[in-house]
Amino acid sequence: MAEEPAAPGIVTEKVVHTYPLIRHSDMSEEMRVEAVELSVTACEKFSNNNELAARMVKETMDKKFGPAFHVVVGESYGFEITYECTTICYLYFGGNQAICIWKCS
Amino acid sequence: MAPKKQKDATIKSRGNLVEDDNLDWLKPRTLLKPEDQEDVPEADLEEEVGRILTTINPQWVADQVAYHYGQGKFVVTPRPTFGKAYPLYIYQGTAIRKDSDEAKAQIAAGYGMVGFDDAGPKRAKVKKSAAEEEEEEEPEPEPAGGDETKAEEEQAAEEEKPEGEAEAPAEDQAPAEAAPAEGEAPAADEEEEGKEEGEGKKEDGAFLDEIIDIKPRIKKLANQFNFCERAALTYNYPRRSVDTQTVPPPRANFGATALQCIIFDYYQEDYARKMKEKEDERPKRLRKKKAKHVKTEQQIHDEKLAQRIREAWAILERLVNQNIYDDIAQDYRYWDDPSDEFREGMGSLLPLWKFQFEPMRCHAVCDVQWNPHYQDLFAVAYGSLDFTNQQKIGCLCLYSIKNPAYPEYSVITESPVICLDVYKEIPYLVCVGLYDGNVCVYNAQLSLESSYQYKSDSVRDKHCNIVWEIRWGPRLIDGEPSFFSISGDGRVVQWAVMPGELQATTIITLTSNVPPIPGPDGTMLTVNSCGSCVCFHPDKPEIFMVGTEDGMIHTCSLKYNRNYVRSMQGHHMPVYRINYNYFNNSIYASCSGDWRVKIWEDGRDEPLFMFELGSPVGDVKWAPYSSTVFAACTADGKVYVFDLNVDKYRPICVQAVVSKKTKKLTRVDFNVKLPVIVCGDTKGTCHVLKLSPNLRVMCKPPKKAQGIDQRTLQILKLDKLLSLVRDPPFQTGVVDEKFDDD
Repeated sequence: MAEEPAAPGIVTEKVVHTYPLIRHSDMSEEMRVEAVELSVTACEKFSNNNELAARMVKETMDKKFGPAFHVVVGESYGFEITYECTTICYLYFGGNQAICIWKCS
Repeated sequence: MAPKKQKDATIKSRGNLVEDDNLDWLKPRTLLKPEDQEDVPEADLEEEVGRILTTINPQWVADQVAYHYGQGKFVVTPRPTFGKAYPLYIYQGTAIRKDSDEAKAQIAAGYGMVGFDDAGPKRAKVKKSAAEEEEEEEPEPEPAGGDETKAEEEQAAEEEKPEGEAEAPAEDQAPAEAAPAEGEAPAADEEEEGKEEGEGKKEDGAFLDEIIDIKPRIKKLANQFNFCERAALTYNYPRRSVDTQTVPPPRANFGATALQCIIFDYYQEDYARKMKEKEDERPKRLRKKKAKHVKTEQQIHDEKLAQRIREAWAILERLVNQNIYDDIAQDYRYWDDPSDEFREGMGSLLPLWKFQFEPMRCHAVCDVQWNPHYQDLFAVAYGSLDFTNQQKIGCLCLYSIKNPAYPEYSVITESPVICLDVYKEIPYLVCVGLYDGNVCVYNAQLSLESSYQYKSDSVRDKHCNIVWEIRWGPRLIDGEPSFFSISGDGRVVQWAVMPGELQATTIITLTSNVPPIPGPDGTMLTVNSCGSCVCFHPDKPEIFMVGTEDGMIHTCSLKYNRNYVRSMQGHHMPVYRINYNYFNNSIYASCSGDWRVKIWEDGRDEPLFMFELGSPVGDVKWAPYSSTVFAACTADGKVYVFDLNVDKYRPICVQAVVSKKTKKLTRVDFNVKLPVIVCGDTKGTCHVLKLSPNLRVMCKPPKKAQGIDQRTLQILKLDKLLSLVRDPPFQTGVVDEKFDDD
């Protein structure tokens, strides 16, 4: 009986977050906004295909900010990368996706 | 033979050296020698060293074995024909050795049989001579070579023979005959030889018909194409490589792990933060106020503590000072000059404390004024009256007689302070006039670090000359306090103390009788008379009197800024002070640099009284307790106290306060409540003097009207006196008499 009132409490507390949340970034303001918008668009467009989403982000970033961007889209992964300064953006999106965008040519 | 050859070679090389020596005009050549080179004597150098060359390669392993898997045992590997040399590049030549299998086969097939015969020995010979060259390092043809070659030729021919015999044993004799024939004529041309040989062969063939005629005649085997190769090599320019390397863009490492739990946690964290921010934003103002309040509480506590400590120290300081100056304090309170009883109408001044502020030792006390609210406090303006050697800074100090050692409040100003006035309504506001023409308002309540609270704008509206006197005026319509200043530039300016700034209004510009002076560029410059003091009427706030440096006393009104209400020649030298009587608003005193103090009545061109003090009079002040008493101080260091009721002609007290050689008295002021006066000198010292009982006699009420208060009595006393003086015949007489006296 004691658990029952707690369960609805949890349910009410449980909020599904879908907004993009930047975890780490040293991009310039303009670039960061662009990257976030782009990843949102890509992840919404290819919601069930991370590869295509990553490809779209990478290609668009390459066009806009010069080549050799790398994009990782996934739900659980670990990474250790070397990036050119002021070109990294690591963000969460949709509550379960982690997107890492960086440049290294 | 080899050593001999070598010797020859060395001789030759020496010869070359000698030749080189002969060519020393080309270039001086010094032989570089390492330092640690061993010295070898000449004899050792001359010694011949034999060198034996053998055909045996010592590097060869004689009996090298290798395991043969097929036979299952070790077998001796065949000796390589080229020894330990390894062929790097093998070119298949078109020439073949005569005694090789292939050549034998060809010969057997009948190719170039005769040709071989004559070519063979030649080739062998050349080969041999090349080998000799290698050995001897000298391309000298050997004179004895001829015999040898012949022998060799014969030998080769003999060698050839068995081959020929093997293939064609039948024609045994023919080549044997041909060979000697060739040997006899070795210098003959090859082709000719060939032809001859061919002919010889044909003859031979004819001779031995049935055997030889199968063999076709083929000239040569070695090089079937008669071509020669020509080549040219173009000049290759030397190559040079130039590179630069740019600094690579900065890089950094980053690593993270993306897991559902981490993502979720971070979202929760961020969400919580956002919620908190929202909460914060709503009661922002309230929160801010609260925070401020909390902060100030702490500050208040600190300040209170500091204040208490400061107060404690101040009390301690005062205690110590009171102990030090105990006798003076006792005198100040209780001692009255007992000799006054015996000298009717004469009094004395008892010097009490001297106030000095160490940094202001060289400054003059330019103004001194008791505080209207605190009876023990007086303000001192430190400036400089030595105008040829003006001080850079000034000081405003507030002294309390409770602590003669150090001022209660002191603030250094940018320019010497010439005059000051304490605001009666707010006794901690002091306005000062500076030497550079600025006026400031100081708030003594503020901490000592903060300087003026208000200051006139140095660019826009300050005075262009020394501010000689400054006086607080009535409040303006809007309630702002205002004060007036008079300056040497001939202007009287009213300053309204607005929040944050002083607003200046020029009340009047003092004109002078001097006609306009032509300026440098043709303009006419009007000359203002220089104001030196100002005094407001106690009752009519719009009426004020202005004293000028040319001795004029103008009565002006705030309402007329063009003309004076009244103007008169009061003195012949700058007027230093005009002071109204406290009891009669139409009586005022003035003093001047022409040594005189004059008592005037409004509306009268001639003074009621005139006193000559023998020295420029710096200040004159009416006593606040008596209508007929006033004090003046002079430049020769004396303080004069007059009581017109006691003596109309002479001062009732003359006391030298400072030495007249070094110091001058500048200003004097009566304490409102206490029987003391303060006067300042030009060395930064303020003297507090106590008035003896004779100088402060009060009126005794007449028997008829006991209930009349002191003030009315004082007014009556002055009126009575004035009625005596006002009589026309008396008036001039007083002056004349005074002059006669002096």
